[in-house]
Amino acid sequence: MEFKTYPFTAQKYTAKIPMLDNGIELERHAVTIVGGGPVGLAVALGLANHGVPSVLIEADDSVCYGSRAICISRRSLEIIERLGAVAGFLKTGLPWTGGRSFYRDTEVLHFKMPQDENQKLPPMVNLAQYHIEQFLLDAAEKKADLIDIRWQTRVTAIDSHTKGATLTLATSEGDYSLNTDWVVACDGGRSTIREALGLQLKGTSYEGRYVIVDIELESDRPTERLAYFDPPSNPGSTVLVHKQPDNVWRIDYQLRDGEDPEQAVKPENVTPRVQNLLDMMGERAAWAPIWITIYKANALTLESYRHGRVLFGGDAAHLVPIFGVRGANSGIDDADNLAWKLAFVLQGLASEGLLDSYSAERVFAAHENLSYGTKSTEFMAPPSFAFELMRKAVLSLAIRHERVRSLINPRQTSAITYTASPLNAAETTPGAFTAGPAPGAVLSECPLTTVEGGNAREAHLTDLVRPRFTALYFSENGSVPAEFFALEETLQGEKLPFKLIPVSARLHPETYSDHHWDHTGRLFVMYGAKPGSVYLVRPDGHVLGRWHAAVAADIAAAIHHALHT
Amino acid sequence: MTDSDLDIVYTRLCKTMTQLGEPNASFFLARFAMLAIDAIDDPAVALNLIDDASEGMSE
Repeated sequence: MEFKTYPFTAQKYTAKIPMLDNGIELERHAVTIVGGGPVGLAVALGLANHGVPSVLIEADDSVCYGSRAICISRRSLEIIERLGAVAGFLKTGLPWTGGRSFYRDTEVLHFKMPQDENQKLPPMVNLAQYHIEQFLLDAAEKKADLIDIRWQTRVTAIDSHTKGATLTLATSEGDYSLNTDWVVACDGGRSTIREALGLQLKGTSYEGRYVIVDIELESDRPTERLAYFDPPSNPGSTVLVHKQPDNVWRIDYQLRDGEDPEQAVKPENVTPRVQNLLDMMGERAAWAPIWITIYKANALTLESYRHGRVLFGGDAAHLVPIFGVRGANSGIDDADNLAWKLAFVLQGLASEGLLDSYSAERVFAAHENLSYGTKSTEFMAPPSFAFELMRKAVLSLAIRHERVRSLINPRQTSAITYTASPLNAAETTPGAFTAGPAPGAVLSECPLTTVEGGNAREAHLTDLVRPRFTALYFSENGSVPAEFFALEETLQGEKLPFKLIPVSARLHPETYSDHHWDHTGRLFVMYGAKPGSVYLVRPDGHVLGRWHAAVAADIAAAIHHALHT
Repeated sequence: MTDSDLDIVYTRLCKTMTQLGEPNASFFLARFAMLAIDAIDDPAVALNLIDDASEGMSE
């Protein structure tokens, strides 16, 4: 059977050598990012949002090819929107809200991801990783004054020390080295930087293997996650099906016990299984394979993501199982957490300890992701006879017994709450808020009306998250005590990015001062807010602290505590 | 019992059974069934569960 290529042509880039002195780049850099995948690009864009320049080192000559991340979560889309790249994701990506699981020929679960009228973005979109990288790259190229991408450049050695690092680089045009104050390693699961520093990922590797196949197939079947357990087409196997844009479909199926992985990926062994599956699904159109690879689930992480002046993010820092789509999504969250902290440290607004909180928060998030990912993997690729036997019991009972169905749910990725973050401002009166995101959680979405310069427009709460600390001041009519404006002035005087945002219960047409009106009346309720309540939000959209009857000193203390832990 | 509680119990059961080994699996599940019957403490419910568990198994 003939292979087809992905319906995407990547632009090729050549290596370029900067101005050198004795083989060393003349200019010393503040930040060098190693790896131009989704995470590296997101770090560069995040830094650029704070006005911080970076050099990005990429070994390849273009965005990626081949079968990789395809599901981007709502939380990732929120981050990508702040990075200025979301339009392409929403235009090209296929939005979806749920999925179906089948045992033999019977549907045993129809799950839905959180979706209601408060949301601005879909819970998930599917698109190929080359799309993901291309849209981020397009945004990065618009900020070429701040993001210097070095294509076809490989790191061959790193010498890291207390003030930074020297990277030795190899390109087709010759080799050179560069000096940098900080290194952000986003160079993937086989990270060169991690190896060079002698660091090891710790955790569990699973034995069960999956064949991953991308095929071209024309079909108007809706976008949802399909899981087939022991299907008539492939008895004893587990099969996952996802739709991607441009008539590309992702099919993952579990290898039989003892099956040789090298044989399993040969097209002559893949084709009949895919054909059987498509026959069962009723897909009659001609199809062709595009890409075949083998996957083995790993649940691994570094114990710390900060090693002096070297910071790790994405797959270089942790490998989470594919089930639950936490790989790229957790990497994008790493980037979002790291970018503002590194920017604040570089700009002298925070002590280096802030970067230890990057490690603390994201290692915690990795453990949360691994625990969900492990549960999904134990169901999708049972690690022992017992998990296999119990899975069969659950699947066969699920047809009639609704209660056991939650065990089949793929536990899709969701934003992690940094419950024990050292940055969180302690709640002065525990239980004072009966609703709303606690310190460490991300904002829950809600529509509102933004009134600026006398003009009103529809907006959403997450639109207010920008590269700064944001204090949402809840009031009846949008008026805010003078001491908060004084605080805003003081912080801005310290060059600390901060904005005070009045949120009002009522529209305030007689004033020209900007405010945000809770026109649905749901925001105050969802946030347990009363006139005088304040939510203080970090640049990455996580809540830092919240108060009823807040005073400006609370806000100032919380920010200073976070920046100088 | 929440979904998360069910998850925890399910995983513990699987792990315990894994440690005991496949030859002991039926014996372990039989002992668990006896204890569950005792804990349910309601003959009608337990008899129904026996019917539900056996339903469709002979296929």
